[in-house]
Amino acid sequence: MPGDLSRLLNALGLILVDTVLALAFVDQLWFRDLPCPICILQRAGFTAAGFGLALNIMFGPRPSHYGVTLLGAVTGAAIAARQILEYAVPGSGFYGNDIFGLHLYTWAFIAFALMIIGSAILLLDDRQFARTEPWSSRLNVLPLTAFATFLVLAAGNVISTLLICGGGLCPATPAGYLILNDNLSLTLLSDAF
Amino acid sequence: MMSLPFLLFACGLGAAWLRQRGAAMGFWVAGLVVLLVLFRIHMGDVLNIAL
Repeated sequence: MPGDLSRLLNALGLILVDTVLALAFVDQLWFRDLPCPICILQRAGFTAAGFGLALNIMFGPRPSHYGVTLLGAVTGAAIAARQILEYAVPGSGFYGNDIFGLHLYTWAFIAFALMIIGSAILLLDDRQFARTEPWSSRLNVLPLTAFATFLVLAAGNVISTLLICGGGLCPATPAGYLILNDNLSLTLLSDAF
Repeated sequence: MMSLPFLLFACGLGAAWLRQRGAAMGFWVAGLVVLLVLFRIHMGDVLNIAL
């Protein structure tokens, strides 16, 4: 597999990660399903795993970049598995909405597993690492779009998490946007005096 | 504190955009460490899966 094809496949993979992170925002904003602390950490796991794909796009494919993806995906899978186990016992409840019968943390675990398998398959071809000439800093539209969207989604998660959790740890079951509620309380308090 | 991993990853992506691979990797490692610490803090309790 030539390096350019590898770069294209990494861009497609990053677009899938972008889609997952964007769907999480749709669930949060459209369906008003606020993420729990562990759900937020799973989003961070997707960002950690997608980081390796982004590095492959920017600097060309390297084994260390796939290592970044694998470590991020394993971390995310461990977090998702922990949440699945939390609700494994019948009658122990669940968190959030389900999609096609599975909850988001189960889908997250499946997605992380697919990322691990996909990265392992891409790692099998050594020819992508054999390029001798330097990688062009110019990117095609698809890799550029994938990278820019990923950066925007990571920055969006900084803002979203700050709004939900404030500067500290998140409440176990978030009831609203902590920072907005606090500011609202302060506004009401100042109105009272 | 919960937004710190995203912030570090976003900084890393910014560094990658500026072609600073070493800095990007550094931000990623820091982000992953913070992510693991936050996971430990939030999931320190014993699982109740006794059947």
